[in-house]
Amino acid sequence: MEKQMNMENRTRSATPAIAITNLTKRFDDFTAVDNINISVPPGSFLVLVGPSGCGKSTLLRMLAGLEPPTEGEIAFNGKVVSSGRSGVTTNPASRDAGLVFQSYALWPHKTVEGNIEWPLKVAGWSRDDRARRIDEVLKFLDIERLRNHYPAEISGGQQQRVAIARTIGPRPGVLLLDEPLSNLDAKLRVDMRSELMRIHRATKATSVYVTHDQVEAMTMATHVAVLRDGRVEQFGPPDELLRTPQTTFVATFLGTPAGNPIPATREGGAFMFGKTEMVSADLAPGHEKVQLLYRAQDITVGAREGRPVVKATYAESAPIAGQSMVTCMIGDLRLTVMVDGFYRAEPGAEIELCFLRDPDAVFNTDGQRIS
Amino acid sequence: MATLASRAPWMARVVQSRDIVPLIMLAFTTLLVIAPLLMILFATLTPDGMAAWQAITNSPLSRNLWWRPLGNTMILGAGTAIGCLLLGGFLAWLVVLTDVPARRFLAIMSILPFMIPSFAAALAWSTLFRNDRLGGQAGYFASNGIPIPDWLAWGIVPTLIVLIAHYYSLAYTMIAASLSSVSGDLVESAEMAGAKRGRILFGIVLPIVTPALISGGMLTFAGAVSNFAAPALLGAPVRMQTLSTRIYGMVQTGNIERGYVLALLLMLMAAALLYFSDRFVSGRRAFVTVTGKGARTKRFALGRWRWPLFIFATLIGVITTIIPVIVLFASSMAPRPGVLFSNWTLHFWIGPAGTSIAEGQAGIFRNPHLIDAVFTTIRLGLTVAGCAMLVGLLIAYTIVRYKASPYTRILSQLSFVPLFIPSIAMAAAYIAMYGTSLGPLPALYGTFALIVMAATANLMPYAVQSARGVLGQISADIEESARMTGAGAVRRMAQIVFPLAMRGIMAGGILVFIKIVRDLSLVVLLFSASTPLLSMIAFNYASLGFMQFANAITLVILVICLIASGLVHILQNKVQGWKSK
Ligand SMILES: Nc1ncnc2c1ncn2[C@@H]1O[C@H](COP(=O)(O)OP(=O)(O)O)[C@@H](O)[C@H]1O
Ligand SMILES: [Mg+2]
Repeated sequence: MEKQMNMENRTRSATPAIAITNLTKRFDDFTAVDNINISVPPGSFLVLVGPSGCGKSTLLRMLAGLEPPTEGEIAFNGKVVSSGRSGVTTNPASRDAGLVFQSYALWPHKTVEGNIEWPLKVAGWSRDDRARRIDEVLKFLDIERLRNHYPAEISGGQQQRVAIARTIGPRPGVLLLDEPLSNLDAKLRVDMRSELMRIHRATKATSVYVTHDQVEAMTMATHVAVLRDGRVEQFGPPDELLRTPQTTFVATFLGTPAGNPIPATREGGAFMFGKTEMVSADLAPGHEKVQLLYRAQDITVGAREGRPVVKATYAESAPIAGQSMVTCMIGDLRLTVMVDGFYRAEPGAEIELCFLRDPDAVFNTDGQRIS
Repeated sequence: MATLASRAPWMARVVQSRDIVPLIMLAFTTLLVIAPLLMILFATLTPDGMAAWQAITNSPLSRNLWWRPLGNTMILGAGTAIGCLLLGGFLAWLVVLTDVPARRFLAIMSILPFMIPSFAAALAWSTLFRNDRLGGQAGYFASNGIPIPDWLAWGIVPTLIVLIAHYYSLAYTMIAASLSSVSGDLVESAEMAGAKRGRILFGIVLPIVTPALISGGMLTFAGAVSNFAAPALLGAPVRMQTLSTRIYGMVQTGNIERGYVLALLLMLMAAALLYFSDRFVSGRRAFVTVTGKGARTKRFALGRWRWPLFIFATLIGVITTIIPVIVLFASSMAPRPGVLFSNWTLHFWIGPAGTSIAEGQAGIFRNPHLIDAVFTTIRLGLTVAGCAMLVGLLIAYTIVRYKASPYTRILSQLSFVPLFIPSIAMAAAYIAMYGTSLGPLPALYGTFALIVMAATANLMPYAVQSARGVLGQISADIEESARMTGAGAVRRMAQIVFPLAMRGIMAGGILVFIKIVRDLSLVVLLFSASTPLLSMIAFNYASLGFMQFANAITLVILVICLIASGLVHILQNKVQGWKSK
């Protein structure tokens, strides 16, 4: 809670680079973006993360000026660029934003150089300025060799670089990226991730980055907004979201591995999961039914003296940095727990899970945080 | 726009409204397509028009004016559809589903006939089979002592043969595309289930291609019903009238209202047909030629039938494409149709006037009228190709980018209406609309502009269809990324959309060019002395019995089409070097 206050103070101190107020977008009866409020200071790296179909792209396209909002406002550096009420939408170019498309959207009939040059031409740059800037960005993205190639002749990763070069060419104040890494293979994705952060540091452009991959969100962001069904589930710095998730959705969506919410019922002085006494009921006074959030590292396989133990069915395990991430089922409930060393069992085998520590957080049955 | 919008918010709403552009395009399409149809309808509601309705539908004349032409038209339509399905279906089966030799060669042979105008085939037929019933020079066979009975020289039988020879490639294209979507897995799983070859063909393959068979049948039916050249050249001289030739006859003899009534009835018939086939098959897919690819097809082994079937298929191609062209060529050099292959002379091409041959007429390249016609025809082809593709692009762009607007759906349906309108009926409608001065507009009858407008309207479905294909390849992202740079709509069109679309536009353009350059049924009513066109001149020569001149001009048309296709092919490769590299 205190953290949240700090956050608001911080953003209020200067004019936010991007301020989104009560933003809503409806397609006919369907609400794709629902009353969103986010603002970030200049130079931030805002990541919008959420499962696919939650409205990330729609939100980004409104920021880009490609879609008018139904309600609400967007302001860049204090200047309103889109408003649902007055119907004003400044056109994409005059809002000083650049967009990198998920499909890259390179113009196939222009060379790499032609792709980078055209936006500068449209913006009215002189020939000399253009030539200088093209050299600069080609060098910056390490694609000088590809200058005279056509998009169809270069690899996906290279196309990605060209798309970024084309977008940062005119030095936009706001850089928007829609799942830019989703078409790359795993290794390239990690490389490009650091590359993008280098670009962000160098250009100092306020960036909005859309992804469904929480790892990207956690590694790159200064600010994260978790979206679900068009709403902001939680907004804050990544560590805060990890440490104090406000909803079970956030807790289960973020983190590798994600947290485990376990339903529990008050019986006497304790919260019970099935027949097992998990924790003292003083944790959430006045609540009959709750969900207890356990981190994966707070649960392990094999009974320990004095700690709650529950029977579960083994499903699979994956080795991670000297530990094993074990997935198992209790009825329909899927749990991910950590075991030291290499652990494997027969799928379907019955194992014992031990809860090493008290729950990290308690949520009500609607998934809202209580404590 | 931003400043304007901030001053008057309601204006921003209007400017951003998704309906403006579709509405503008809708108004434009209405003017081009619907207005003439309404005009022709109104023209038949005048006292003269009512008299024409009476004469055609309910009078002693109606047998000759309506019922007999209708009967002939239906026989030709049904016969053509059946013949085309048999021929086209056989060839498609052979090429796609069997191990017949030289499949690519057969595939090309099977689509060639459509490149040759139907009046070329009709002229070739006439050159070979004409008998002396009508006087004038007899054809090749009759002159060489092989008597040709009337039914084979004139009337419904030769017309039907020529129409089938012209339209079967259309059926072939549609059936072949559909057959190639029958994947090998499907056939093999039937084989695994123990089904015999015949069972597989009728139980698995046939049901899958049924929609293609139905739409192929309907389109060839509609094509035959509205064809003018073949019945006009082979039937009309012996008073075998179809609705098309009747409309022409009525307009020619000044019974214009009767022509309008017949045109309306012909349209209704064509529309009803296509509508029901469309209901039967799903939607517009019927008109899209799918280039089947991807699915691996399973080829039946023909065994000892491989070569006989190959030869049979080749013969079909040779008889319908190569022989007509050879006959036209030989005839244009032969002094008499009886001796096609000796005594060749270039008189009909370049001979001087005033000799004893051809009643003293000069060869076609000595005829200034004809040189004029060559240029007018090319100019018409280029203008119509340009206009139609521009209109097609604008409409397709609106359809693709303004999906949300309810008017877009109407626009998309409206743009396909001309498909239901036989060309000669469209021409009649344009006479009704623009033939007399209309308010401030001068009468356009007989002008180049009128032909261009009518042809653009007539070919709109093809143009829209190919433009949609083109635009489908340009993703919304590509265009939006251009929008992000701040480039205006015109600049985006000119520098991003247009260059990308160029290749497809040229493919669509050449289709339109060829269709109009060799067209007879549309221009036959709109043509005038100030707009000499090759196809019209060929038709007039043929009507007068100067077969050599008609054939020579037809060859000129063929050559123009061939050169244009070649040029486009070269240009396409030039334009999109970035794709082939
Ligand atoms: N132009 C549109 N018309 C109607 N629905 C749309 C449109 N664009 C997006 N949607 C819907 O809005 C929702 C959010 O879409 P999107 O923003 O693309 O999701 P995400 O990028 O998070 O996967 C989806 O359910 C999608 O079907
Ligand atoms: Mg998306």
